[in-house]
Amino acid sequence: MVRSYFRRAYSSFTAHVFDIPPRFMAFLFFLLLLTVPAMQLGSYVLRLLIMANIFAIFAVSWDLLVGRTGQISLGHALFFGIGGYTSGLLFQFFALPIWVTIPAAVAIGALAGFLIGFPCLRVKGPYLALITMAFPLILSNLVKWSPLEPIFGGELGFRSLPPFFPFLPFTQAIMAEYYLILLLLFVSSIVIYKIANSKTGIVFVSILDDEVASKACGINVTRYKIFAFTISSFFASLAGCLQAHILKLANPPMFSLDISFLPVILTFLGGIGTIYGPIVGSYIYVILDRYIMSILLPKAFESVGWTLPREFDFAKLLIFTLIVLVLIIKWPRGLARFATDELQNLEEARDLDERGPRIWKRYKKTKH
Amino acid sequence: MNEDLEFGRDTRKLNTEVKGGSAMQVLEVENITKSFGGLKAVDNVSFHIDEGELVGIIGPNGAGKTTLFNLLSCFLSPDSGTIKFKGENIIGMAPHKVVNLGIARTFQVVRPFRHLPVIANVMVALKSPRGAKKIEWLKTMERKAADLLEDVGLSELMLEPAENVGHGDLKRLEIAKALATEPDVLLLDEPFGGLNPLEVDFLTKSILRMHLDEPRRSIIIVEHKLYALMKLVKEVKVLHRGKKIAEGTPEEIANNKKVVEVYMGGPIKHA
Ligand SMILES: Nc1ncnc2c1ncn2[C@@H]1O[C@H](COP(=O)(O)OP(=O)(O)OP(=O)(O)O)[C@@H](O)[C@H]1O
Ligand SMILES: [Mg+2]
Repeated sequence: MVRSYFRRAYSSFTAHVFDIPPRFMAFLFFLLLLTVPAMQLGSYVLRLLIMANIFAIFAVSWDLLVGRTGQISLGHALFFGIGGYTSGLLFQFFALPIWVTIPAAVAIGALAGFLIGFPCLRVKGPYLALITMAFPLILSNLVKWSPLEPIFGGELGFRSLPPFFPFLPFTQAIMAEYYLILLLLFVSSIVIYKIANSKTGIVFVSILDDEVASKACGINVTRYKIFAFTISSFFASLAGCLQAHILKLANPPMFSLDISFLPVILTFLGGIGTIYGPIVGSYIYVILDRYIMSILLPKAFESVGWTLPREFDFAKLLIFTLIVLVLIIKWPRGLARFATDELQNLEEARDLDERGPRIWKRYKKTKH
Repeated sequence: MNEDLEFGRDTRKLNTEVKGGSAMQVLEVENITKSFGGLKAVDNVSFHIDEGELVGIIGPNGAGKTTLFNLLSCFLSPDSGTIKFKGENIIGMAPHKVVNLGIARTFQVVRPFRHLPVIANVMVALKSPRGAKKIEWLKTMERKAADLLEDVGLSELMLEPAENVGHGDLKRLEIAKALATEPDVLLLDEPFGGLNPLEVDFLTKSILRMHLDEPRRSIIIVEHKLYALMKLVKEVKVLHRGKKIAEGTPEEIANNKKVVEVYMGGPIKHA
């Protein structure tokens, strides 16, 4: 009796607390990210967050193509790598400044997406996934190919790419980079979100749902698919060249399968088709894999007096995969979507105030 | 009785003649054949559709009605024969182009965009070149979509995701989607399939209203059920095993021995 009273009070309390529109939540999230550098977390953490933001741009671009248009790409590393390598090539051979290399890299990446769109349109579903997977592997071997080493730099790729802020001292440069990348994430995700929720975005979803029916609606499905490929590759290559300039490195692993699967994992973690989900997924990934597993855990072990064996690096991947698996099984529609669903339920609960919140009813139902 | 019918038919013929041959033929189908393996789904079928005509096509299961629609909407290409829309050959054209020319169809098995709200389903069709062009001046796409939904009686479900909408309503949504491009020829594939009598009644009325609102639009309705078509169309064509076995007014068809045999599942003599 008392317990149920508390439960009810709690649910109506949360219903009021969470009575915040999603747009405002997103705004708060970005505000929080803006204040991060002031928290003095050290340059390593800032670096991690920069990477999280780059991955987020990458994963959001994937979500538009796959989550909204239904064109499964398992080869997004292609655009990521093309972004990085274009930047590298332009710097190496023409010594162009960063303000030129980035737009050029993005343009070339978008062009690649446009061209890749054509052969990919002939196939659907799993076949499309397989074909897209092949492209980055081909390019990866191409850039590693020894006759082309003078151009692409072989296994090592391009080193010592120019940083964003060469004129700033180290700590300030990182901070500046952090804000720049955050701004770019902000702009890219808003642009993609706007596209996804425009009338064109509606057509994208219609293609995801039923291609035949959208043809019957008079939609030139081919054109829309190529458009989706182009936008997606535009932002994916942006992420690629940003990473190249942050790490000052563009090398063959940028074309690897790991990179191709990264947006898949991030998007499924956050919620496919949500556009904001991948951002959440990206933060979960970076915090879990790059921070907790790589820094906190070894530190904790050290404090007890143990040292982690070298094999832990492999175990790390296994553990991370297991955690991701559990998360995806538990919340198949993504963590971010789970959260928004829950918020909506609470909102509805508040609307039903006199008759008792719906959440409360649901508890009652499960008890019986 | 018989004389009456003959008389009625003659005056109808006279009417079209009086229009002075200006009753343009929008659709001319000549000898089209489509086989799947050894099965001739559509077998040497020819017919003409005039501007503003309301025609029914009936036939038992597997008669080739849907295949015929797939041919007319260019989702399939015939093995032989010609299909002309306003004098232009449309065989081999991409399906979306045909829609933008002015032939829109619905599907027998509904194909909604499940993730989209009902109104967005219609907006997809309005986003097509023809759909966009046909939006009246000073009207937004949303407004037009809402108007179309009102025409088929789906206003209340406008914002509901299509996956939560019942079958009868999805049938009507199909029609709203097809109407969004304001086609010159509208192909309805079993619009009454799976509807209860009340819904059939409502839909019959809205199709008739549509016909009156847009007298230049030709409508072809495929149905199993003759009774639903009776009130709607003046001309019925009967398909059986891919062949056109009869055509005429609903009364004639109902009294046609061959058609009755086909529908009763009786023996049918093949040539
Ligand atoms: N894509 C296809 N491949 C092979 N056979 C097909 C295909 N489409 C239709 N058929 C066959 O062609 C014949 C005609 O089918 P169709 O769907 O046109 O009939 P229908 O008149 O629409 O029947 P129903 O009243 O059941 O809808 C059937 O025997 C069917 O099995
Ligand atoms: Mg059929």
